Amino acid sequence: MNTFSMYVARESGLHKLHPLTKSLLTLLLLVAGLTLPGNWTGYILVLFIILPLALWGQVFRNFIRIVWGLSLPFILSVVIIQSLFWGKGTPIFEFWILAPKVEGALFAAISVGRIILVMAGFILFAMTTRPDTLMISLKQVGVPSSLAYIIVTTLQIIPRFQSKASTILDAQRSRGLETEGNLFVRSRAVVPIILPLVLGSLVEVEERAIAIEARGFNSKREETSLIEIPDTKTQFIVRRLFFMLMILSIAARIAWQLSN
Amino acid sequence: MMDNIKKEFSTRTLVLIPIAIAINIAIGELVVRLKLPVYLDSIGTVLVGAIAGPWAGALTGALANLIWGLFNPFVAAFFYVAAVIGFIAGLAGKRGAFQNETPRWVSVLVGAVFVFSLTLFVLAFSNASTDDTGFTTYPGMTELFSRYAVIFVVAILIGAAIGYFLLQKGGYAGLWGLITGIVAAIISAPTAAYVFGGVTGSGTDLVVAAFRASGAGILSSVMAQGAVSDPFDKMLSFMVVWLILRSMPARFRAQ
Amino acid sequence: MAIVELKDVTYKYPLTESLALQNIHLKVDQGEFVAVIGPNGAGKSTLCYTIAGFVPHFFKGELTGTVEVAGNESSKSSLHEWVLNVGLAFQNPFNQISGAKYTVFEEIAFGLENIGVPREEMIQRVEEAMQLTGISDLADRSPYSLSGGQQQRVALASILVMQPKVLVLDEPTSQMDPIGAREVFGVIRTMAEKGMTVLLVEHKVEWIANFADRIIALHNGKILLEGKPQEVLTSDLLANKGFGISRYTSVARRAKDLGLWKKDSLPVTLEEAVEGFA
Repeated sequence: MNTFSMYVARESGLHKLHPLTKSLLTLLLLVAGLTLPGNWTGYILVLFIILPLALWGQVFRNFIRIVWGLSLPFILSVVIIQSLFWGKGTPIFEFWILAPKVEGALFAAISVGRIILVMAGFILFAMTTRPDTLMISLKQVGVPSSLAYIIVTTLQIIPRFQSKASTILDAQRSRGLETEGNLFVRSRAVVPIILPLVLGSLVEVEERAIAIEARGFNSKREETSLIEIPDTKTQFIVRRLFFMLMILSIAARIAWQLSN
Repeated sequence: MMDNIKKEFSTRTLVLIPIAIAINIAIGELVVRLKLPVYLDSIGTVLVGAIAGPWAGALTGALANLIWGLFNPFVAAFFYVAAVIGFIAGLAGKRGAFQNETPRWVSVLVGAVFVFSLTLFVLAFSNASTDDTGFTTYPGMTELFSRYAVIFVVAILIGAAIGYFLLQKGGYAGLWGLITGIVAAIISAPTAAYVFGGVTGSGTDLVVAAFRASGAGILSSVMAQGAVSDPFDKMLSFMVVWLILRSMPARFRAQ
Repeated sequence: MAIVELKDVTYKYPLTESLALQNIHLKVDQGEFVAVIGPNGAGKSTLCYTIAGFVPHFFKGELTGTVEVAGNESSKSSLHEWVLNVGLAFQNPFNQISGAKYTVFEEIAFGLENIGVPREEMIQRVEEAMQLTGISDLADRSPYSLSGGQQQRVALASILVMQPKVLVLDEPTSQMDPIGAREVFGVIRTMAEKGMTVLLVEHKVEWIANFADRIIALHNGKILLEGKPQEVLTSDLLANKGFGISRYTSVARRAKDLGLWKKDSLPVTLEEAVEGFA
């Protein structure tokens, strides 16, 4: 599927779950990880819930690779910066002018837990949920269909625009546009590429609007759906449960904050 | 008010939004390819704000980040910042910022004030002193001026040049961009500081490091980093949209 | 029985001074195949938009006169209801793909989802539309992976599936290679033979000469001439006004001037030319 998404098709139980179930689960994990009192909840949730889910979803290998790849820059940055530049604190060691502090490293470790939680949660969700079925399920709970239209369409056309930008870049280069050299030279290359890209795209807007109007896009009638998404009673109950757990988690946080 | 909001979302707008989001991403990548020290990843958002209005701009920004978040969850956490950027762009559009020409001297002034404030800011931080109780004091303005008079003059001149050459007749748009950038920096700092430990995983973390080294707390450092890079980036983005709208034939602008 | 009737229709786009359509009187009977020809700027697209309801609902501007389809008046109806009366397809097949669906089947069903057709009926209608347009084998493909001709047929199927009473086509083959054009013409011909009322704007004069019941020549927003293809396409009124008259006609006209063309009427198609010169 040539769209802008991380979705990987598999025949797993996780994939077969209703998109809303998965959305609420991801949200619950994020909310719990970020609000529950305690510094290491991020790691716990990732280790004991997200990783097993990734296994169930048959995307473990890819999943680890992507999460690691995306998180690494953050992890490196946060460890280095917060350890070395912590200000007043107890040094772990001293080498030349470098004196990483324990407090800094600790803070970094806690942050890394949160970072990985956010990354892993989102990525697992994206890898196991088809964007269009997600949109359909959102429509069923009242999300306006114009929103669903926007999101799915965006995903489909992003690759096209990425290559359009490349094409215009090459075309301008062949006309003598300099794209390498000092900062000045490179900066001047920006507008001659952006302008054709944007203006060319704006021309399409009117015809595309007419085309979807001609397909009843603004119809006031109640919509139907071609694709049916399988759902189960269990999932229905589980979703309510997730929602309540989220509220509880936030409440726990508030209570903890107040008692401190 | 709901009617006003609804009016912004005509079919044309709904068709425009996906295109704008794709433009955000395409230009954001282009800038990386050209190795430029800016993001320029909100041009589509600003464009929709300018053409269709604040609410449409806000939705575009929010969705753009959430969608990009499918690939990089970090970006998604800042969806509210992008929404605000789109919203302000809409306000600027309603005030004609993208249609009018400003006299050059206004642009020069905007540029000069911007670089001057930036210099003031950076110098204040780098000359901060922390006493033993952990309390940080920042030097007073007169002290800074007398010590760094030459730097300030140079800064004003550079700023004036930026205003003249970069902003040209779009000074008003550039000003709105500046304001947007400052607001964006402020409201994104808490999320960066709390959720991500104060880093963005990119080169700007060095800026955060520098501010931390001066004794500033995490939140302040992140905010300071944002205050250094965001206003310029948004100012440029607003300028580019101004340029785009002025290059469009009148028929399109009538929306 | 006129299914489309325009009475004294005049239209001006917003922010312009010139009239795009002037005093148009037009009737199309049920099942008729009417072709519209004219130079650039003649108002052909505007005419299409007017019959399809986009003028005035989408473009605003000033419209006077009445536009009726199947007894309903367009200005008294809303656009989203009017599109069920009149189906519109135009030049650029790419812009007619919604982008909201991943497969051709779903893309064609998109319109039916919007108007609330129940699922079983939806599936049936989509399969019929795909058969009519010869694209049943493309059902699982992504609309963006198709050729121009295939995309245009998907666009046609997407409109036909809505079961409009009238089909308006604005130069559907202009952006196509010869193969694609032939595929699209094939579909149009099938629809016409099935009794669909078709209004086709087209430059390929030879083709419409063979299949159109009637031709309308538009010039500067007015109807210059209308009648049977033979009469209209060979009329001297159309000469030198940018109508792109068939080369066979032009050649034969020159031959006539030189006394080499013996017949009374000028040819429009290759067959007629061959016949005439034999």
